[in-house]
Amino acid sequence: MAITRIGNIANTIPDNSIANSKLTDIVNFKNIIINGDMSIAQRGTSATGLGDGDIGYHTCDRWRFQELGTPTYEFTQTQSTDVPSGQGFATSLKMDCTTADASLSASDAVTIRQKIEGQNLQYIKKGTANAESLTCSFWVKSNKTGTYIIQIRDNDNSRQISKSYTIDSASTWEKKTITFAGDTTGTLDNDNNASLFFDFWLGAGTDYTSGTLATSWEASALNTNTAVGQVNIADSTANDWFVTGVQLEIGSAASDFEFLPVDVNLQRCLRYYEKLYSLTTAPADGATNYTFGGAAGEASWTCFTTNNIGSGTKFKVEKRTTPTITLFRGTATVTAGLPAYYNDSDAWAVVTSPTITVNDSLGFFIRSAVTATRGRSYLFEGGWTASAEL
Amino acid sequence: MIKNVEKMYSLTSPIVFVKTFKVTLNNDAVIYVPLDPANTDYQAIQEWIAAGNEVIDNGA
Repeated sequence: MAITRIGNIANTIPDNSIANSKLTDIVNFKNIIINGDMSIAQRGTSATGLGDGDIGYHTCDRWRFQELGTPTYEFTQTQSTDVPSGQGFATSLKMDCTTADASLSASDAVTIRQKIEGQNLQYIKKGTANAESLTCSFWVKSNKTGTYIIQIRDNDNSRQISKSYTIDSASTWEKKTITFAGDTTGTLDNDNNASLFFDFWLGAGTDYTSGTLATSWEASALNTNTAVGQVNIADSTANDWFVTGVQLEIGSAASDFEFLPVDVNLQRCLRYYEKLYSLTTAPADGATNYTFGGAAGEASWTCFTTNNIGSGTKFKVEKRTTPTITLFRGTATVTAGLPAYYNDSDAWAVVTSPTITVNDSLGFFIRSAVTATRGRSYLFEGGWTASAEL
Repeated sequence: MIKNVEKMYSLTSPIVFVKTFKVTLNNDAVIYVPLDPANTDYQAIQEWIAAGNEVIDNGA
């Protein structure tokens, strides 16, 4: 990506003074991947027992645990502080096998996936004669050496490409760089839905390994070509796998990882997931980080008509789409999943059978029929999350 | 994994469907899912319905 002019800077910098600098390294937001340094983990820093039926987001934001088939393995996923030395990273994503499945069934598999919005990918010009190559770079470590697969899947046009990398030395951080050719077939939708899936494969049954690895773009109906050669990280409880510094950028060369300030990185993650808790507090019934004068203050109840209270909340960041809301109790009451209000008798009471109205990507409204006096406001206790993940 | 899905209605007149579903998962956790085709949980509801399940509708 060439920089042709930056305001009037071109008139004030001496000739040739920046000629040898790495301009590509100062271009912001070159990384298609969000939270590639694994620094944001709003949901928590550890999740145990991940296996069959646990597809979803558990620790590091934007990184999805993806199981396929009906596997018997289980993993603990962690936001780890084990990082490559001297590279500037503070966190990694760790997958630790806790229940082994040494012989995966044909349809079983496990990947770590990031889904990417189509409207953020128009500049890769996929499906045109000018389709850009994509280069992925990352740091990885595992006790299990051998061949691993990275796959990019075009979800709009059912196409895929896979590349392998090798972990050469056990339990040693290694930097890998892989380039994927541009695809002149299949334009990506310019919308807020998932157009590309980016997958780190960790294990795969023969449904995904019995063909020839799809090192060029092809129809993804050919699952057998997806993960040929992939080792099975689930074959022993001694196995673990770490990754950080994941960057996917246009071009055929990798540039230095683009570190973003934590507030900027968080802003990007908030488009997909937000919570009424501090950054380091995992949402849960009974979590206690918020106070009446803090985050909960914006969510006080109003009795808008006799014996009906409501509370409107505006998100910090507009969501990708209308999000799913989950409610949590605070500490004053004991009913899971239900917030409370401080009633006319000076006592906390559960808000039973709430109705949630969430009609857009900007906020939501919660209301409930309780004993309350019209025109009064009431303290709110509880928490919520809003998820608009892909 | 979805256990059941219920349409949510407003509590006061006029009683209308508020375009949100109360979804109880197999672990008894409850989530509130908007009627939004771009929401992946709503997409999961559609798959759940396509598999032969029915949404609870207590009506207006």
